Amino acid sequence: MPGEKLKVPFAGLIYGQIIYWGVMLGCLIVVFGSVIAFTTRHNFAPASYWISSVWRGDSPARIWQGITGALPMGHWYFSHLTTGDGMSAFGISLGVFSVVPALFLSSAVLFKEGDRFYGLLALICGFIVLTGVLGLIPTG
Amino acid sequence: MAPAELDSAVSEEKEADAKPGKQRRSKGTLKRIVTSVPELTLLILLILGGYLLMAVFSKVQGTQDLTPTSMWLIIAGSFLISTAIAIIAVVAGIGGGVIFTPIMLGFTSMDSLVIRATGLVVAMFSGLISSGPFMKSRLANLRVVFFCGVPITVGALAGSVCAIYLHDALGAVGDGMVRLSLGILMLVIAYFLLTGGGKTEYPEPEHIDALSVKLGLNGSYWESSLGKIVDYQLVRALPGALIFILLGFIGGFFGMGGGAFLTATLNLVMMAPVKIAAACSGVLLAISNATAIWTYITYGALIAIVVAPWLLGQVVGGILGAHLLIRIRAGFVRKILIVILVLSSLKLIARGVGGAFGIHIPLVG
Repeated sequence: MPGEKLKVPFAGLIYGQIIYWGVMLGCLIVVFGSVIAFTTRHNFAPASYWISSVWRGDSPARIWQGITGALPMGHWYFSHLTTGDGMSAFGISLGVFSVVPALFLSSAVLFKEGDRFYGLLALICGFIVLTGVLGLIPTG
Repeated sequence: MAPAELDSAVSEEKEADAKPGKQRRSKGTLKRIVTSVPELTLLILLILGGYLLMAVFSKVQGTQDLTPTSMWLIIAGSFLISTAIAIIAVVAGIGGGVIFTPIMLGFTSMDSLVIRATGLVVAMFSGLISSGPFMKSRLANLRVVFFCGVPITVGALAGSVCAIYLHDALGAVGDGMVRLSLGILMLVIAYFLLTGGGKTEYPEPEHIDALSVKLGLNGSYWESSLGKIVDYQLVRALPGALIFILLGFIGGFFGMGGGAFLTATLNLVMMAPVKIAAACSGVLLAISNATAIWTYITYGALIAIVVAPWLLGQVVGGILGAHLLIRIRAGFVRKILIVILVLSSLKLIARGVGGAFGIHIPLVG
Protein backbone atom coordinates (compact mmCIF):
# COMPACT_ATOMS: atom_id res chain seq x y z
CA MET A 1 0.00 0.00 0.00
CA PRO A 2 1.43 3.41 -0.88
CA GLY A 3 0.43 4.70 2.54
CA GLU A 4 3.01 2.41 4.10
CA LYS A 5 5.75 4.61 2.61
CA LEU A 6 4.77 7.34 5.07
CA LYS A 7 7.04 7.19 8.07
CA VAL A 8 5.28 6.73 11.40
CA PRO A 9 6.82 8.97 14.10
CA PHE A 10 8.67 6.80 16.64
CA ALA A 11 7.51 9.06 19.48
CA GLY A 12 3.91 8.36 18.48
CA LEU A 13 4.49 4.60 18.40
CA ILE A 14 6.08 4.69 21.85
CA TYR A 15 3.17 6.76 23.15
CA GLY A 16 0.52 4.36 21.83
CA GLN A 17 2.29 1.15 22.89
CA ILE A 18 2.89 2.24 26.48
CA ILE A 19 -0.72 3.31 26.94
CA TYR A 20 -2.11 0.15 25.31
CA TRP A 21 -0.14 -2.24 27.51
CA GLY A 22 -0.60 -0.10 30.61
CA VAL A 23 -4.36 -0.26 30.11
CA MET A 24 -4.27 -4.02 29.46
CA LEU A 25 -2.25 -4.62 32.64
CA GLY A 26 -4.61 -2.36 34.57
CA CYS A 27 -7.59 -4.35 33.26
CA LEU A 28 -6.07 -7.67 34.41
CA ILE A 29 -5.53 -6.27 37.91
CA VAL A 30 -9.09 -4.89 37.95
CA VAL A 31 -10.52 -8.34 37.04
CA PHE A 32 -8.55 -10.07 39.81
CA GLY A 33 -9.47 -7.32 42.28
CA SER A 34 -13.17 -7.63 41.47
CA VAL A 35 -13.08 -11.43 41.93
CA ILE A 36 -11.28 -11.11 45.29
CA ALA A 37 -13.75 -8.43 46.40
CA PHE A 38 -16.73 -10.71 45.69
CA THR A 39 -15.38 -14.14 46.65
CA THR A 40 -13.43 -13.33 49.82
CA ARG A 41 -13.91 -11.08 52.82
CA HIS A 42 -10.48 -9.57 52.28
CA ASN A 43 -11.60 -6.03 51.49
CA PHE A 44 -10.92 -2.53 52.74
CA ALA A 45 -14.71 -2.14 52.96
CA PRO A 46 -17.27 -4.84 52.08
CA ALA A 47 -18.27 -4.92 48.40
CA SER A 48 -21.91 -4.85 49.51
CA TYR A 49 -21.28 -1.55 51.33
CA TRP A 50 -19.74 0.13 48.27
CA ILE A 51 -22.47 -1.06 45.88
CA SER A 52 -25.40 -0.35 48.19
CA SER A 53 -24.15 3.13 49.07
CA VAL A 54 -23.68 4.11 45.44
CA TRP A 55 -27.03 2.55 44.49
CA ARG A 56 -28.76 4.57 47.26
CA GLY A 57 -27.24 7.77 45.92
CA ASP A 58 -24.96 8.52 48.85
CA SER A 59 -22.38 11.24 48.29
CA PRO A 60 -18.66 10.35 48.46
CA ALA A 61 -18.42 12.17 51.80
CA ARG A 62 -21.24 10.03 53.25
CA ILE A 63 -19.81 6.81 51.78
CA TRP A 64 -16.36 7.42 53.26
CA GLN A 65 -17.90 8.60 56.53
CA GLY A 66 -19.03 5.00 57.05
CA ILE A 67 -15.55 3.58 56.40
CA THR A 68 -12.82 5.87 57.65
CA GLY A 69 -14.87 8.76 58.99
CA ALA A 70 -13.53 11.19 56.40
CA LEU A 71 -12.77 11.52 52.70
CA PRO A 72 -9.46 9.82 51.75
CA MET A 73 -7.95 12.89 50.04
CA GLY A 74 -5.21 10.77 48.51
CA HIS A 75 -4.34 7.38 47.10
CA TRP A 76 -5.87 5.22 49.86
CA TYR A 77 -5.42 1.99 47.86
CA PHE A 78 -1.59 2.01 48.07
CA SER A 79 -1.78 0.80 51.66
CA HIS A 80 -4.45 -1.82 50.80
CA LEU A 81 -3.07 -3.39 47.62
CA THR A 82 -3.83 -6.98 48.66
CA THR A 83 -7.51 -6.31 49.28
CA GLY A 84 -10.09 -6.78 46.51
CA ASP A 85 -11.29 -3.19 46.42
CA GLY A 86 -7.77 -1.79 46.87
CA MET A 87 -6.50 -3.93 43.99
CA SER A 88 -9.37 -2.80 41.75
CA ALA A 89 -8.70 0.86 42.53
CA PHE A 90 -4.98 0.32 41.85
CA GLY A 91 -5.75 -1.34 38.49
CA ILE A 92 -7.92 1.58 37.40
CA SER A 93 -5.27 4.07 38.49
CA LEU A 94 -2.53 2.13 36.70
CA GLY A 95 -4.51 2.21 33.46
CA VAL A 96 -5.03 5.96 33.75
CA PHE A 97 -1.44 6.56 34.91
CA SER A 98 -0.04 4.91 31.75
CA VAL A 99 -0.51 8.31 30.09
CA VAL A 100 2.29 9.78 32.25
CA PRO A 101 5.21 7.49 31.20
CA ALA A 102 3.84 7.58 27.65
CA LEU A 103 4.09 11.38 27.60
CA PHE A 104 7.53 11.48 29.25
CA LEU A 105 9.05 8.79 27.02
CA SER A 106 7.67 10.26 23.81
CA SER A 107 8.99 13.62 25.02
CA ALA A 108 12.45 12.05 25.46
CA VAL A 109 12.27 10.61 21.94
CA LEU A 110 11.26 14.00 20.52
CA PHE A 111 14.18 15.70 22.32
CA LYS A 112 16.55 13.03 20.98
CA GLU A 113 15.23 13.58 17.46
CA GLY A 114 15.86 17.32 17.82
CA ASP A 115 12.18 18.33 17.99
CA ARG A 116 12.71 20.29 21.21
CA PHE A 117 9.55 22.41 21.11
CA TYR A 118 7.17 19.47 20.89
CA GLY A 119 9.34 17.50 23.31
CA LEU A 120 8.83 20.37 25.75
CA LEU A 121 5.06 20.44 25.15
CA ALA A 122 4.84 16.68 25.83
CA LEU A 123 6.87 17.24 29.01
CA ILE A 124 4.52 20.04 30.12
CA CYS A 125 1.49 17.83 29.42
CA GLY A 126 3.11 15.09 31.52
CA PHE A 127 3.70 17.47 34.42
CA ILE A 128 0.10 18.77 34.28
CA VAL A 129 -1.18 15.18 34.51
CA LEU A 130 1.29 14.56 37.37
CA THR A 131 -0.14 17.60 39.19
CA GLY A 132 -3.46 15.78 39.17
CA VAL A 133 -1.90 12.44 40.16
CA LEU A 134 -0.14 13.97 43.17
CA GLY A 135 -3.25 15.94 44.16
CA LEU A 136 -1.26 19.17 44.29
CA ILE A 137 -4.35 21.33 43.75
CA PRO A 138 -6.40 21.32 46.97
CA THR A 139 -10.08 20.39 46.62
CA GLY A 140 -11.39 20.88 50.10
CA MET B 1 0.80 -6.46 20.75
CA ALA B 2 -1.68 -4.98 19.56
CA PRO B 3 -2.16 -1.62 18.07
CA ALA B 4 -0.21 -2.90 15.09
CA GLU B 5 -2.08 -6.16 14.88
CA LEU B 6 -5.35 -4.44 15.56
CA ASP B 7 -4.69 -2.24 12.56
CA SER B 8 -3.84 -5.12 10.32
CA ALA B 9 -6.89 -7.01 11.57
CA VAL B 10 -9.12 -4.07 10.70
CA SER B 11 -7.61 -3.68 7.25
CA GLU B 12 -7.78 -7.43 6.57
CA GLU B 13 -11.36 -7.29 7.68
CA LYS B 14 -12.07 -4.47 5.23
CA GLU B 15 -10.66 -6.60 2.44
CA ALA B 16 -12.75 -9.58 3.53
CA ASP B 17 -15.86 -7.43 3.61
CA ALA B 18 -15.35 -6.50 0.01
CA LYS B 19 -15.87 -10.17 -0.90
CA PRO B 20 -19.31 -11.79 -1.13
CA GLY B 21 -20.62 -14.27 1.47
CA LYS B 22 -22.01 -12.84 4.70
CA GLN B 23 -21.64 -16.01 6.81
CA ARG B 24 -18.06 -16.54 5.73
CA ARG B 25 -17.33 -12.91 6.64
CA SER B 26 -18.84 -13.23 10.14
CA LYS B 27 -16.79 -16.35 10.88
CA GLY B 28 -13.75 -14.70 9.35
CA THR B 29 -14.18 -11.58 11.46
CA LEU B 30 -14.42 -13.54 14.70
CA LYS B 31 -11.43 -15.70 13.77
CA ARG B 32 -9.38 -12.66 12.84
CA ILE B 33 -10.16 -10.89 16.11
CA VAL B 34 -9.27 -14.01 18.11
CA THR B 35 -5.99 -14.61 16.28
CA SER B 36 -4.83 -11.04 15.73
CA VAL B 37 -5.76 -9.57 19.13
CA PRO B 38 -5.09 -12.55 21.44
CA GLU B 39 -4.81 -10.38 24.53
CA LEU B 40 -8.41 -9.22 23.98
CA THR B 41 -9.59 -12.83 23.78
CA LEU B 42 -7.68 -13.60 26.97
CA LEU B 43 -9.17 -10.56 28.69
CA ILE B 44 -12.74 -11.45 27.66
CA LEU B 45 -12.25 -15.05 28.88
CA LEU B 46 -10.84 -13.80 32.18
CA ILE B 47 -13.74 -11.37 32.65
CA LEU B 48 -16.35 -14.03 31.88
CA GLY B 49 -14.57 -16.56 34.13
CA GLY B 50 -14.25 -13.92 36.84
CA TYR B 51 -17.94 -13.01 36.77
CA LEU B 52 -18.83 -16.72 36.87
CA LEU B 53 -16.63 -17.17 39.95
CA MET B 54 -18.22 -14.08 41.51
CA ALA B 55 -21.68 -15.58 40.96
CA VAL B 56 -20.87 -19.09 42.24
CA PHE B 57 -18.52 -18.37 45.16
CA SER B 58 -19.95 -15.01 46.22
CA LYS B 59 -19.36 -14.08 49.85
CA VAL B 60 -21.15 -10.78 49.51
CA GLN B 61 -23.85 -10.22 52.12
CA GLY B 62 -27.20 -8.65 51.37
CA THR B 63 -28.09 -5.19 52.66
CA GLN B 64 -31.36 -3.35 53.30
CA ASP B 65 -31.39 -2.12 49.70
CA LEU B 66 -29.94 -5.01 47.70
CA THR B 67 -29.65 -8.81 47.77
CA PRO B 68 -26.31 -10.51 46.85
CA THR B 69 -27.83 -11.64 43.54
CA SER B 70 -28.96 -8.13 42.62
CA MET B 71 -25.48 -6.81 43.45
CA TRP B 72 -23.92 -9.35 41.08
CA LEU B 73 -26.50 -8.42 38.43
CA ILE B 74 -25.60 -4.73 38.82
CA ILE B 75 -21.89 -5.52 38.25
CA ALA B 76 -22.41 -7.94 35.33
CA GLY B 77 -25.10 -5.69 33.83
CA SER B 78 -22.80 -2.66 34.07
CA PHE B 79 -20.14 -4.58 32.12
CA LEU B 80 -22.60 -5.52 29.36
CA ILE B 81 -24.11 -2.02 29.12
CA SER B 82 -20.62 -0.47 29.09
CA THR B 83 -19.56 -2.80 26.27
CA ALA B 84 -22.65 -1.79 24.27
CA ILE B 85 -22.02 1.92 24.95
CA ALA B 86 -18.41 1.59 23.80
CA ILE B 87 -19.47 -0.12 20.55
CA ILE B 88 -22.15 2.52 19.86
CA ALA B 89 -19.70 5.32 20.74
CA VAL B 90 -16.97 4.02 18.44
CA VAL B 91 -19.41 3.48 15.56
CA ALA B 92 -20.99 6.92 16.08
CA GLY B 93 -17.55 8.54 16.44
CA ILE B 94 -18.05 10.07 19.88
CA GLY B 95 -16.86 9.43 23.45
CA GLY B 96 -18.81 6.95 25.61
CA GLY B 97 -19.14 9.56 28.37
CA VAL B 98 -21.59 11.52 26.21
CA ILE B 99 -23.99 8.57 26.46
CA PHE B 100 -23.20 7.39 30.01
CA THR B 101 -23.14 10.62 32.01
CA PRO B 102 -26.44 12.18 30.83
CA ILE B 103 -28.36 8.89 31.11
CA MET B 104 -27.07 8.18 34.62
CA LEU B 105 -27.58 11.78 35.78
CA GLY B 106 -31.03 11.91 34.22
CA PHE B 107 -32.47 8.54 35.15
CA THR B 108 -30.74 7.28 38.32
CA SER B 109 -30.49 8.47 41.90
CA MET B 110 -26.70 8.02 42.03
CA ASP B 111 -24.68 10.96 43.37
CA SER B 112 -23.63 13.34 40.59
CA LEU B 113 -19.96 13.34 41.61
CA VAL B 114 -19.80 9.53 41.59
CA ILE B 115 -21.48 9.50 38.16
CA ARG B 116 -19.06 12.09 36.79
CA ALA B 117 -16.02 10.17 38.08
CA THR B 118 -17.34 6.98 36.48
CA GLY B 119 -18.25 8.97 33.35
CA LEU B 120 -14.62 10.06 32.96
CA VAL B 121 -13.55 6.39 33.00
CA VAL B 122 -16.20 5.58 30.40
CA ALA B 123 -15.14 8.56 28.28
CA MET B 124 -11.46 7.82 28.58
CA PHE B 125 -10.67 4.13 28.19
CA SER B 126 -11.88 3.52 24.63
CA GLY B 127 -9.81 6.60 23.66
CA LEU B 128 -6.76 5.32 25.55
CA ILE B 129 -6.91 1.92 23.89
CA SER B 130 -7.29 3.41 20.40
CA SER B 131 -4.37 5.86 20.80
CA GLY B 132 -1.91 3.27 19.46
CA PRO B 133 -3.75 2.43 16.21
CA PHE B 134 -4.44 6.13 15.61
CA MET B 135 -0.75 6.98 16.03
CA LYS B 136 0.37 4.10 13.82
CA SER B 137 -1.99 5.01 11.01
CA ARG B 138 -0.72 8.64 11.20
CA LEU B 139 -4.31 9.79 11.63
CA ALA B 140 -3.41 11.20 15.05
CA ASN B 141 -0.82 13.91 14.47
CA LEU B 142 1.59 13.94 17.40
CA ARG B 143 2.31 17.66 17.01
CA VAL B 144 -1.38 18.57 16.98
CA VAL B 145 -1.98 16.29 19.97
CA PHE B 146 0.79 17.83 22.09
CA PHE B 147 0.04 21.40 20.98
CA CYS B 148 -3.66 21.07 21.92
CA GLY B 149 -2.79 18.76 24.83
CA VAL B 150 -1.39 21.55 27.02
CA PRO B 151 -4.50 23.81 26.97
CA ILE B 152 -6.95 20.92 27.21
CA THR B 153 -5.21 19.39 30.25
CA VAL B 154 -5.08 22.79 31.99
CA GLY B 155 -8.83 23.19 31.35
CA ALA B 156 -9.60 19.61 32.43
CA LEU B 157 -7.75 19.99 35.74
CA ALA B 158 -9.50 23.30 36.45
CA GLY B 159 -12.90 21.79 35.52
CA SER B 160 -12.51 18.80 37.83
CA VAL B 161 -11.43 20.97 40.78
CA CYS B 162 -14.41 23.31 40.18
CA ALA B 163 -16.77 20.31 40.06
CA ILE B 164 -15.65 19.22 43.54
CA TYR B 165 -15.88 22.76 44.96
CA LEU B 166 -19.37 23.30 43.52
CA HIS B 167 -20.55 19.91 44.78
CA ASP B 168 -19.31 20.63 48.29
CA ALA B 169 -20.46 24.25 48.39
CA LEU B 170 -23.91 24.10 46.79
CA GLY B 171 -25.09 20.54 47.52
CA ALA B 172 -28.47 19.67 45.94
CA VAL B 173 -28.86 23.08 44.28
CA GLY B 174 -25.41 22.67 42.68
CA ASP B 175 -26.40 19.19 41.47
CA GLY B 176 -29.56 20.67 39.94
CA MET B 177 -27.52 23.33 38.15
CA VAL B 178 -25.12 20.67 36.84
CA ARG B 179 -28.03 18.60 35.49
CA LEU B 180 -29.67 21.65 33.92
CA SER B 181 -26.51 22.90 32.19
CA LEU B 182 -25.58 19.38 31.05
CA GLY B 183 -29.09 18.94 29.62
CA ILE B 184 -28.67 22.10 27.55
CA LEU B 185 -25.17 20.99 26.48
CA MET B 186 -26.58 17.62 25.37
CA LEU B 187 -29.12 19.36 23.13
CA VAL B 188 -26.24 21.26 21.49
CA ILE B 189 -24.31 17.99 20.97
CA ALA B 190 -27.44 16.33 19.52
CA TYR B 191 -27.75 19.28 17.11
CA PHE B 192 -24.07 18.86 16.15
CA LEU B 193 -24.61 15.16 15.46
CA LEU B 194 -27.80 15.87 13.50
CA THR B 195 -26.29 18.50 11.23
CA GLY B 196 -22.77 17.13 11.18
CA GLY B 197 -21.71 20.56 12.52
CA GLY B 198 -21.05 21.70 8.95
CA LYS B 199 -17.95 19.48 8.88
CA THR B 200 -15.97 19.33 5.68
CA GLU B 201 -13.99 16.26 4.66
CA TYR B 202 -10.92 18.11 3.35
CA PRO B 203 -11.08 21.78 4.39
CA GLU B 204 -9.06 24.22 2.33
CA PRO B 205 -8.03 27.23 4.44
CA GLU B 206 -8.19 30.58 2.64
CA HIS B 207 -5.54 32.13 4.83
CA ILE B 208 -2.71 30.32 6.60
CA ASP B 209 -1.37 32.20 9.63
CA ALA B 210 2.33 32.50 10.28
CA LEU B 211 2.15 30.97 13.78
CA SER B 212 0.60 27.72 12.56
CA VAL B 213 3.26 27.44 9.86
CA LYS B 214 6.05 28.19 12.35
CA LEU B 215 4.68 25.56 14.73
CA GLY B 216 4.71 23.01 11.93
CA LEU B 217 1.08 22.01 12.48
CA ASN B 218 0.92 20.02 9.27
CA GLY B 219 1.13 16.43 8.14
CA SER B 220 0.10 13.84 5.60
CA TYR B 221 -1.77 10.55 5.67
CA TRP B 222 -2.87 7.80 3.32
CA GLU B 223 -6.51 8.36 2.30
CA SER B 224 -7.79 4.99 1.14
CA SER B 225 -11.06 6.38 -0.29
CA LEU B 226 -9.06 8.63 -2.65
CA GLY B 227 -6.19 6.19 -3.14
CA LYS B 228 -3.59 8.87 -2.49
CA ILE B 229 -1.61 10.66 0.19
CA VAL B 230 -3.39 13.77 1.53
CA ASP B 231 -1.29 16.68 2.82
CA TYR B 232 -2.83 19.17 5.23
CA GLN B 233 -1.93 22.36 7.10
CA LEU B 234 -3.75 23.43 10.26
CA VAL B 235 -4.52 27.12 10.85
CA ARG B 236 -5.68 29.39 13.71
CA ALA B 237 -3.37 27.81 16.28
CA LEU B 238 -3.99 30.45 18.95
CA PRO B 239 -7.83 30.60 18.83
CA GLY B 240 -7.83 26.80 18.65
CA ALA B 241 -5.70 26.55 21.81
CA LEU B 242 -8.04 28.94 23.68
CA ILE B 243 -11.10 26.90 22.69
CA PHE B 244 -9.36 23.74 23.93
CA ILE B 245 -9.01 25.25 27.42
CA LEU B 246 -12.80 25.67 27.50
CA LEU B 247 -13.44 22.17 26.10
CA GLY B 248 -11.06 20.66 28.66
CA PHE B 249 -12.94 22.49 31.42
CA ILE B 250 -16.32 21.16 30.20
CA GLY B 251 -14.95 17.59 30.05
CA GLY B 252 -13.40 17.76 33.53
CA PHE B 253 -16.43 19.45 35.08
CA PHE B 254 -19.20 17.29 33.62
CA GLY B 255 -17.24 14.02 33.57
CA MET B 256 -17.59 13.34 29.89
CA GLY B 257 -15.51 13.83 26.82
CA GLY B 258 -17.39 16.07 24.44
CA GLY B 259 -15.54 14.51 21.52
CA ALA B 260 -18.05 16.02 19.08
CA PHE B 261 -16.87 19.51 20.11
CA LEU B 262 -13.17 18.57 19.90
CA THR B 263 -13.60 17.16 16.41
CA ALA B 264 -15.59 20.21 15.32
CA THR B 265 -12.93 22.60 16.68
CA LEU B 266 -10.12 20.78 14.91
CA ASN B 267 -12.11 20.50 11.68
CA LEU B 268 -13.95 23.83 11.51
CA VAL B 269 -11.63 26.20 13.37
CA MET B 270 -8.19 24.68 12.79
CA MET B 271 -9.13 23.19 9.40
CA ALA B 272 -7.88 19.64 9.95
CA PRO B 273 -9.32 16.97 7.61
CA VAL B 274 -12.24 15.28 9.34
CA LYS B 275 -10.41 11.93 9.77
CA ILE B 276 -7.42 13.67 11.36
CA ALA B 277 -9.75 15.73 13.56
CA ALA B 278 -11.61 12.61 14.76
CA ALA B 279 -8.42 10.67 15.53
CA CYS B 280 -6.70 13.58 17.29
CA SER B 281 -9.83 14.27 19.34
CA GLY B 282 -9.86 10.62 20.50
CA VAL B 283 -6.27 10.86 21.75
CA LEU B 284 -6.86 14.31 23.26
CA LEU B 285 -9.98 13.09 25.09
CA ALA B 286 -7.90 10.37 26.70
CA ILE B 287 -5.20 12.84 27.84
CA SER B 288 -7.65 15.43 29.19
CA ASN B 289 -9.79 12.89 31.03
CA ALA B 290 -6.67 11.19 32.40
CA THR B 291 -5.79 14.57 33.92
CA ALA B 292 -9.24 15.38 35.30
CA ILE B 293 -9.94 11.98 36.85
CA TRP B 294 -7.14 12.22 39.44
CA THR B 295 -9.03 14.99 41.23
CA TYR B 296 -11.99 12.62 41.58
CA ILE B 297 -9.75 9.66 42.55
CA THR B 298 -7.89 11.48 45.31
CA TYR B 299 -11.13 13.04 46.60
CA GLY B 300 -12.69 9.56 46.91
CA ALA B 301 -15.46 9.96 44.30
CA LEU B 302 -14.23 7.05 42.20
CA ILE B 303 -15.70 3.90 43.76
CA ALA B 304 -13.51 1.15 42.30
CA ILE B 305 -15.86 -1.82 42.75
CA VAL B 306 -18.60 0.04 40.88
CA VAL B 307 -16.32 1.58 38.24
CA ALA B 308 -14.47 -1.69 37.42
CA PRO B 309 -17.14 -3.26 35.15
CA TRP B 310 -17.61 0.04 33.32
CA LEU B 311 -13.86 0.21 32.62
CA LEU B 312 -13.66 -3.40 31.42
CA GLY B 313 -16.68 -2.91 29.17
CA GLN B 314 -15.09 0.15 27.58
CA VAL B 315 -11.87 -1.67 26.75
CA VAL B 316 -13.61 -4.76 25.33
CA GLY B 317 -16.31 -2.73 23.52
CA GLY B 318 -13.78 -0.19 22.23
CA ILE B 319 -11.74 -2.86 20.45
CA LEU B 320 -14.81 -4.79 19.24
CA GLY B 321 -16.39 -1.54 18.03
CA ALA B 322 -13.36 -0.79 15.86
CA HIS B 323 -13.93 -4.13 14.10
CA LEU B 324 -17.70 -3.78 13.88
CA LEU B 325 -17.33 -0.25 12.51
CA ILE B 326 -17.05 -1.75 9.06
CA ARG B 327 -20.28 -3.71 9.11
CA ILE B 328 -22.70 -1.48 11.00
CA ARG B 329 -24.25 1.55 9.30
CA ALA B 330 -22.86 4.54 11.21
CA GLY B 331 -25.76 6.75 10.08
CA PHE B 332 -28.33 4.47 11.72
CA VAL B 333 -26.38 4.38 15.02
CA ARG B 334 -26.06 8.17 14.98
CA LYS B 335 -29.86 8.51 14.65
CA ILE B 336 -30.39 6.23 17.66
CA LEU B 337 -27.81 8.23 19.56
CA ILE B 338 -29.53 11.53 18.77
CA VAL B 339 -32.81 10.16 20.14
CA ILE B 340 -31.02 8.96 23.31
CA LEU B 341 -29.35 12.36 23.76
CA VAL B 342 -32.57 14.35 23.26
CA LEU B 343 -34.52 12.16 25.70
CA SER B 344 -31.72 12.31 28.29
CA SER B 345 -31.38 16.06 27.90
CA LEU B 346 -35.13 16.61 28.45
CA LYS B 347 -34.97 14.49 31.61
CA LEU B 348 -31.80 16.28 32.74
CA ILE B 349 -33.33 19.72 32.18
CA ALA B 350 -36.48 18.72 34.05
CA ARG B 351 -34.51 17.30 37.00
CA GLY B 352 -32.14 20.27 36.88
CA VAL B 353 -35.00 22.79 37.06
CA GLY B 354 -36.46 20.78 39.95
CA GLY B 355 -33.16 20.59 41.84
CA ALA B 356 -31.99 24.15 41.25
CA PHE B 357 -35.28 26.10 41.41
CA GLY B 358 -37.67 23.67 43.09
CA ILE B 359 -40.03 23.66 40.06
CA HIS B 360 -41.51 20.24 39.30
CA ILE B 361 -42.13 19.52 35.62
CA PRO B 362 -44.74 16.79 35.16
CA LEU B 363 -44.11 13.67 33.00
CA VAL B 364 -40.36 14.22 32.52
CA GLY B 365 -39.52 15.69 35.91
